[in-house]
Amino acid sequence: MLLELKNIFKWVNSGGQRIFLLKDINLSVEEGEFISVMGPSGSGKSTLLNVIGMLDQFNEGEYYFFDESVHNLKEKHRSNLYKEYIGFVFQAYHLLDDLTVYENLEMPLLYKKYKGAERKAMVADMLDRFNIVGKKDLFPAQLSGGQQQLVGVARALIGKPKLILADEPTGNLNSKQGEEIMELFKQLNKEGVTIIQVTHSEKNAEYGSRIINLLDGRKV
Amino acid sequence: MLKNFLKIAVRNLFRNKLSSFINVFGLTLGISACIVLLIFVEYESSFDSFHKKADTTFRVVQHTQLPNETLYWNTTAYPLAAAMRNDLPEIEMVTQISGPVTRVFKVDDAYGGNNLFEEPKVLFVDPFYPKVFDVEWLAGNKEDALKETNSVVLTEKLAQRYFNLTKGNYHKALGRIIALQTKDPLKVTGVIGTPKGNGDHQYNMLIPYEFFKTNNPYYSSNWSGNYQGTTYVVLNKVANKSALESKIAGWKKTYLKPLDDKRISYYLQPLMEIHNETKYGSSPGGYIMPKNILNIAKIIALFVLLIALVNFVNLVTAQSHTRTKEVGVRKVMGSNRLHLILQSIFENSLLILIASILSIVLIQGLIQLLNSNLTLMELKLAFLPRHFVYILIVAVIATGIACVYPALVFAASNPVNALRGRVQLRKNKSSDIRKGLVTAQFVIVQLFVIGAIILAFQMEHFKNSDLGFDKETALISEIPDTEKGLLFREKLLSNSEIAKVAIGSGPPMAVNGLQLGTTFRLPEQSPEESLEAEMKIGDVHYLDFFGLELLAGRNFHSNKDTFDEFIVNETLLKSYGWTPQEALGKKVQINEGEATIVGVVKDFHNNALQNEISPCILLNWNYFQNSAFIKWEGSKVSGIDKIQTYWEELFTNSVYKQQFLDDAIEKEYLVENLIFKGFTTFSILSIIIGCLGLFGLMSFIVSRKSREISIRKVLGATLLENIALFSLEYTKIVGLSFIIASPFVYYFMGQWLEGFTYRIQPSLWMFLSGGFITLFIALLTCSFQSVKAALVNPAKNLRSE
Repeated sequence: MLLELKNIFKWVNSGGQRIFLLKDINLSVEEGEFISVMGPSGSGKSTLLNVIGMLDQFNEGEYYFFDESVHNLKEKHRSNLYKEYIGFVFQAYHLLDDLTVYENLEMPLLYKKYKGAERKAMVADMLDRFNIVGKKDLFPAQLSGGQQQLVGVARALIGKPKLILADEPTGNLNSKQGEEIMELFKQLNKEGVTIIQVTHSEKNAEYGSRIINLLDGRKV
Repeated sequence: MLKNFLKIAVRNLFRNKLSSFINVFGLTLGISACIVLLIFVEYESSFDSFHKKADTTFRVVQHTQLPNETLYWNTTAYPLAAAMRNDLPEIEMVTQISGPVTRVFKVDDAYGGNNLFEEPKVLFVDPFYPKVFDVEWLAGNKEDALKETNSVVLTEKLAQRYFNLTKGNYHKALGRIIALQTKDPLKVTGVIGTPKGNGDHQYNMLIPYEFFKTNNPYYSSNWSGNYQGTTYVVLNKVANKSALESKIAGWKKTYLKPLDDKRISYYLQPLMEIHNETKYGSSPGGYIMPKNILNIAKIIALFVLLIALVNFVNLVTAQSHTRTKEVGVRKVMGSNRLHLILQSIFENSLLILIASILSIVLIQGLIQLLNSNLTLMELKLAFLPRHFVYILIVAVIATGIACVYPALVFAASNPVNALRGRVQLRKNKSSDIRKGLVTAQFVIVQLFVIGAIILAFQMEHFKNSDLGFDKETALISEIPDTEKGLLFREKLLSNSEIAKVAIGSGPPMAVNGLQLGTTFRLPEQSPEESLEAEMKIGDVHYLDFFGLELLAGRNFHSNKDTFDEFIVNETLLKSYGWTPQEALGKKVQINEGEATIVGVVKDFHNNALQNEISPCILLNWNYFQNSAFIKWEGSKVSGIDKIQTYWEELFTNSVYKQQFLDDAIEKEYLVENLIFKGFTTFSILSIIIGCLGLFGLMSFIVSRKSREISIRKVLGATLLENIALFSLEYTKIVGLSFIIASPFVYYFMGQWLEGFTYRIQPSLWMFLSGGFITLFIALLTCSFQSVKAALVNPAKNLRSE
């Protein structure tokens, strides 16, 4: 078991009313799964992904990651946990505009205290694997959307995570670029990486092994 | 990690060129102004401290108790030094100086010709002088250089000028002869270094005191006069000071006349306090830098630095809001708060480092500027190695103050919101802090601006108020030989362009520190009842020349070798409660003799406007008539060179000197002018820095309000209404800061103006105009951004993801 959510609730108080963002979510994910989270706007997809990624807190419930009880962990431990095991891919890529492709890939390694030579090797590996060696000195603004997302995925993978969380990874891409990214995900999944993606597209959801549907914060 | 930080920092710097520039520029200005002021303060408070015996050296000062006031003298009677040396063994050393004075020298050159030089800073010193004060000997024997009566010690500047010598060759000057006032030969016995700028004694040459004594036997042996002789003593221990003072109090009766002994008391003033103590006035040839002005300068230095730092904080935090996405990504990639805080501190200290380096350059420039502009003070500021340490300290303080808060802001944002582009600013808290900072900044700005306005009016008052006499286009020229005064006058008047010429001891207002003092009493009163008065010598044309108005009586008929007539001012009458008519015919006794009052003039300012009009007596005497006053036909000045020609025909062996009266009067306000210039400079500087801060705040407000503006626009707000919305923001800030600053300015300027007898009354509109000037400049600063924001296309801002 990679992770398990038990009776997760998340809410905000607005004008004296309690608005539920997540309502009694139960979910267990095995290693090697490829899950697609679907649902209309505002159904809580991204919130769920953020909770799984430990970027967001929840108000009630239990969350186990590799048998660690996340809900009991201190901020620092939590951050160590996701630093080690989780990689993020965003709809808007979120590459740092001031850094080159190479430096963007290198950045997460800096926070994981890898030595210079190691970092060099790992970045070179990634560049090779994604066929973007020629682009390593370009800045994000000089790349197409598909290429930027490719860098985004490479960045998510560089720390060798067990789990990739992707929030509409193809949302800003045209269909051909989108397909390429999805193929890449499928390939990664085969290599053993667990993937949870949020998507609107039925077609992209088909790439996964399991689909979770959300409506108004509730699993349906 | 550091490399990554550096890269991001540098790229950020270049990407936001404008704000980086504003940021670094503002901080550079602030640091430089602060350090220059500190260097100035350090210089002005370190006067004479470089002398090895500075700690144990004292100046003998004299207090003279008169019936109605106490007079404070920094000079003493000449014979005092020798008497102390003989009678008081507990004093380690006594030295006395006289001057500095201006003298003319004739120097023969190698080709048999000769050149005349006028030296303004000739100091007479006894042989103990180089033992008490540090003098750098470049040639000659320190021990006996000043022993021979007809000898002279030159500074290296003069050795170069007179004998064409270069460094290392100064010994060739030894034994050469120069002629004082072209007649007394003096042998060069030494060459010394130029005195340091922060010393009270500024001289170009030293002449043995013995020479002065031989040539002025009356002065140098007179115990009751006080003629510019300054006495210094060196004690074995500072602790012996009060014991010595009380011993002197009992001892002085051996020499002083009973009346003088009663009135005069001597005290010892520590050498290093001389320059910052106003009580005794400036010593001959020097100036005083009052302690409170130095304290104000320190406060200003701190304020300017604070404004610059506040500014920095504002701009940096405004920027960090545009970088929330980066913070979000970094957090998601595993950065913790500490990393982000360190990154922010690193980036900002990089800016501070750049600013510090730039300010080293700027400081050097500013120091040069100050030195060349304040020549009247002989300012010799220098950028010394230890000032690097000052900059370092300021930079460290700046880093402490200006980096921590922005770093916390930078690191605080929540990654989920940040990545969605939702800038959550914890609305009121963070923006209120920033508004508070800018308000604080503008309080300081307005302190400077309103202060400068009030100062400007006081200076204007000094310059333009009615002095009670006519100062326009009057030229003062020296008469070296008083016997030829009348001849000179005739010669001048033969020129049809010259309208009026008068001769006298000095202009109605005592300028250049020239004032003849005396005491007066009624003949039947005892000497103890004498009061202090100023004595002026003028010829029969004097009243008419300066437009002095007679209230009663008449002008003199002629000047005489023994005076017999007085014309007095109204203030003197107050001592006896006379009306002008009653005063006529009364006999008055002054130190120099007795005479009858024949006229009363309306009060005129015989002292500069800091001080009150004092009793003044004009007498018809032939002595002291050593200045000629010249006025042209109409108000235009022409043919000044002709005056020089006449002068040089009459007075050979002298160097021509002239000065316009209004220039001379302006010099009386040297320190006030300095303060005024300082305030103007710093108000401009603080406005610049303050507006940089406002600019930063506005870009922040604009970015936050762009959505609001767009919505208002869609709902039908006009361009002007939108601009007004922004204007309200800074109008509130300027208004609030005005309200806070005004009472402070009112209090402090009131304190300062207290110091002048003739002063302006700060009025409401001076304050208001200060406020409006600031508001107007703020408006200019912000107009570009507000208009740009108001012109924005609403579709762009309202488009959802």
